[in-house]
Amino acid sequence: MEKPFRYIGTKRRAKESPRFVTGQGRFVADIHVPGMKHVAIVASPHPSARIVSIDSAAARAMPGVRYILDGQEFCAHTDSLYVGVDAPKVTRYALAKDVVRYSGEWVVAVVADSRAQAEDAAELVEVEYEAMPHVIDPERSLLPDAPLLHPDHGSNRLYHRKFVWGPVEEAFAQAEERLAFRVTWGRSSTVPIETFGVLAQWHESDRLLDVWASIQMPKYPDQLARALRLPGNAVRVHYDVDVGGSFGLKRGIKHTVLVSYLARRIGAPVRFIEDRLENMRGGDMHGPDRFFDIEVAFNRDGLVKGLRMRAVDDVGAYAGRSPLQLGKPVSAICGPYQIPAIEYEPTSVMTNKTPQEAVRGFGQAPTNLALERTMDRVARHLDMDPIELRRRNFIRSDQFPYLIPSGSTYDSGDYHAVLDKALAGIDYPALLRQRDSLRAQGALAGIGIATCLEPSGGNSAFEPLFNAKNDTTTWMDSCLVRVDLSGAITGVMGTSSAGQGHETLVATVLGEVLEREPDNIRVVHADSLNALPSNSPVGSRMAIMLGGAAAGAARKIKATLIALAAHNLGCAVDDIEYAEGSASVRGDPGKMLSWDKLVEIAHRKFHLLPPGMEPGLQAGFVWEVPTGGGLPTADGRVQIYPCYSFEAHVVLIEIDPETGRPKILKYLCGHDCGVMINPDIVHGMTYGGIAHGIGAALYEKFAYTEEGELASGTLMDYLIPSSMEVPELHIVDHCTPSPLTTFGQKGSGESGYLGSAAAVCNAVNDALAPMGRSIETLPMSHLAIWNTIRPT
Amino acid sequence: MKAAPFEYVRAESLDHACQMLALRGEEAKLIAGGQSLVPMLAMRLLAPAWLVNIHGLAELQEISVVQDQLVIGAAVRQCVADADPQVKQSVPLLSKALHWVGHAATRNRGTVGGSLAHADPSAELALAAALLDATLSLKSARGIRQVAAGDFLVGPMMTCLEPDECLVDARFPIWREDRSGCAFEEISARHGDFAIVSAAAQLGVDQAGVCTRAALGIGGAGPMARAFSDLARRLVGTRLEEALLREVAQEAAAQLEPTGDLQASAAYRRHLAAVLAKRALLGARRELVLSP
Repeated sequence: MEKPFRYIGTKRRAKESPRFVTGQGRFVADIHVPGMKHVAIVASPHPSARIVSIDSAAARAMPGVRYILDGQEFCAHTDSLYVGVDAPKVTRYALAKDVVRYSGEWVVAVVADSRAQAEDAAELVEVEYEAMPHVIDPERSLLPDAPLLHPDHGSNRLYHRKFVWGPVEEAFAQAEERLAFRVTWGRSSTVPIETFGVLAQWHESDRLLDVWASIQMPKYPDQLARALRLPGNAVRVHYDVDVGGSFGLKRGIKHTVLVSYLARRIGAPVRFIEDRLENMRGGDMHGPDRFFDIEVAFNRDGLVKGLRMRAVDDVGAYAGRSPLQLGKPVSAICGPYQIPAIEYEPTSVMTNKTPQEAVRGFGQAPTNLALERTMDRVARHLDMDPIELRRRNFIRSDQFPYLIPSGSTYDSGDYHAVLDKALAGIDYPALLRQRDSLRAQGALAGIGIATCLEPSGGNSAFEPLFNAKNDTTTWMDSCLVRVDLSGAITGVMGTSSAGQGHETLVATVLGEVLEREPDNIRVVHADSLNALPSNSPVGSRMAIMLGGAAAGAARKIKATLIALAAHNLGCAVDDIEYAEGSASVRGDPGKMLSWDKLVEIAHRKFHLLPPGMEPGLQAGFVWEVPTGGGLPTADGRVQIYPCYSFEAHVVLIEIDPETGRPKILKYLCGHDCGVMINPDIVHGMTYGGIAHGIGAALYEKFAYTEEGELASGTLMDYLIPSSMEVPELHIVDHCTPSPLTTFGQKGSGESGYLGSAAAVCNAVNDALAPMGRSIETLPMSHLAIWNTIRPT
Repeated sequence: MKAAPFEYVRAESLDHACQMLALRGEEAKLIAGGQSLVPMLAMRLLAPAWLVNIHGLAELQEISVVQDQLVIGAAVRQCVADADPQVKQSVPLLSKALHWVGHAATRNRGTVGGSLAHADPSAELALAAALLDATLSLKSARGIRQVAAGDFLVGPMMTCLEPDECLVDARFPIWREDRSGCAFEEISARHGDFAIVSAAAQLGVDQAGVCTRAALGIGGAGPMARAFSDLARRLVGTRLEEALLREVAQEAAAQLEPTGDLQASAAYRRHLAAVLAKRALLGARRELVLSP
């Protein structure tokens, strides 16, 4: 019988909360270095053009101006940013050279004593352009006559492959029914309140670059050093900077290379904090923009036998890591369902739009939308209850570990139980009555269900699938634990946090293992030269990976304390009983050494140390992601994420039949992420994720005009739902522990978002069903809904 | 998003503000709550050489009832107008319109006069002023003049204000019908956003239930808020039958020439105009039925 948890899973205030609630957060804009200069950007007004000339004489003469940089100089002295797929000719720099490829692309950087002065001067930089043909529609971009964004690459296609996992042809030949349709996920993103910001300072005498940034990015210092042609130890990234929201996309590597180059070039610290206009047009932070052509084969009993999913994703004008957002879904390609045969054909295409960046779920939310629309369309085709259809297709709790066709094994789950809990939590029979009574009154009303997975643990084993030249299989994380002479505990992590509560996570885990009060444990973010390796909080991994690393380090400390005690109490290690930091001899509680005593021995009494033991008391633990380390098979099967959280959304929506305006009346999410380390943090993430998905479903879109202009480049046009649009949200927890992790935890950093857009879309479609209409494109704006329901 | 350089002066009196405008002319811009102006400055859509702040001027802060008019000083904050019992009692439509203006946070700073002078085609206060036929007082060093709201609003973000003029107050007629009711309807992408379309109506009836006075207006569906006084007059003398109200709403919408944008096509706007005008008329009628 395992001991019950002492701190894990209990309702405790997050360690970070007092700092943020009292306005004591330390964000990049709070960091001031004497002599700091400021950057403003001159951006391209064209989606595609040749740069004929740049005249910056008038700007240079403006007060306070220190430097004006263009792409010719910048590209000559730095290297291209990293490309995630095998497309070496799709180079990418912070400043355009010779041509611009999207409206908003950075052309010139102006450095001045103040940001206002930099903007004054930027207005006077005269860039002469010669417009060239552009392409905005991803399907047109794939045609042979489309204008090429990167002619040296030879095509606008960045990646294409057709995976066939299982007997797809047979499944389609034998199935009793088939359906085909298209689903489209609109170009939305996460739009944190804090835009990206970075401050860089070059110390010429030490040949060292200091960087403070609002960053969430794996291998950021490494990529920065490479682009700047510096050794890795010449870059010191300070991770003790609070990040004001990220949700995946705070990856300002281009911003950082630019500012770092400028800081070194002019010999002064340089800061760039994007304003909202720069952020939305030129910050390269748009999210997946994807359509799916779905074919599904199924029998009349509702069992899905085969699925063909063609996914075309428009990454914008440059590659980066964004094509890989088609890769993560490979790890949960069949969702929570037993679908034995799957064909997946991802295509990544470039257009003259702002580039895409990683967004919460890394491409899984659009895929979940496609899967959940598939389940609802199958149910409707068979006139079957969509809940019953899901129950029939779910993987059963007795089938875990469950190997899916694309090669990943799901760790654990009980999908039937979570769905049942969600339906009970919302009182589903009453919800049906409410929907039907609204319909009887003339309203359009619908219920949406979505049952989705959150692959977690951040093992990016899809990278070798998308780039055969990349055989990375290591996705470690780590933690260092120190106990000082006073007996106080400090946990050291090597990455920054964007509101995920890592300090609470580490303190709770250390407290749990060492049986010490977490409130008294300090957690610090080491800079990149002092830190153990980390892959940063991506892919819903930190509860698993940082939590596991913290536990591993704490267990080493505990083992050291036990060995110390055994040596000094004259007994075997196995005879020591450890409780709340003290060690006693089992059966002889009088023979005991307290925490303080043990710590004192470790730090000050070498003569009492067992032979060979290191003095002091600290331990580091680096571990590889569970189930990680494997390369794909020739037919593209690979174990990717270790853990799979599950969520079951139920939503009731009402649509005004005269105006098309939707209103969410009720919302509940059943959620199973295994053992929750801090329930408030999990729930907070889930609430935010649901709201984010509601935005993707109904409001948010980076829309482009045919002329290639971003039409929603401000928060007046890019519509983030507010508390007036997001209804009261309810969460029902369930716990199926993961057998692969330290405490049974799974990831939850993307929870809510992975199913809420699908649930809302299903609800809208349920509302439209009595009219015989449907809508398969997000966002479902008022206008789009009205266009669907208006009399023809 | 930093404003271009400008000079700033805090006006010590209304006369001082008018002197500054006379001196600086088109180079100067008045600022009160700044809820529209400051973002426009930050985005450099405007770059006035001078900003003249009139927010603190006591002369522009009064709310009073003078005979059959509610007089609201131009620099009265929207939240103050919203909380003022005189406003609610004498011109309830204005209270209803205020609820749709931006968010609580912007209403805390934004002023009634600022919204009118900004003349956004979808502005709720402009719609209320147009349909109730409010009178606006404009002052300059040359003197003071009164203009009807319908003449004040001349186009999208355009008014008849001369460069040296300051909006001083807005005077809303107080209806003294036996019974009256009003309604304000709006649809926006999110609560607090600029209206895609808004519509408002106010109806008055005598003891016998016969309409004695009527007003109808639609905002957001054309270059400026528009009152339909001819159509509204058709309601006078009737018993406000539902079919008639629907017909008037349809006709009002048919007279509009809306444009399309990201949030709404022209056809959608015209359709919404008819729906919301109908709802406003029916809502106003329902209110007078319910009132004692």
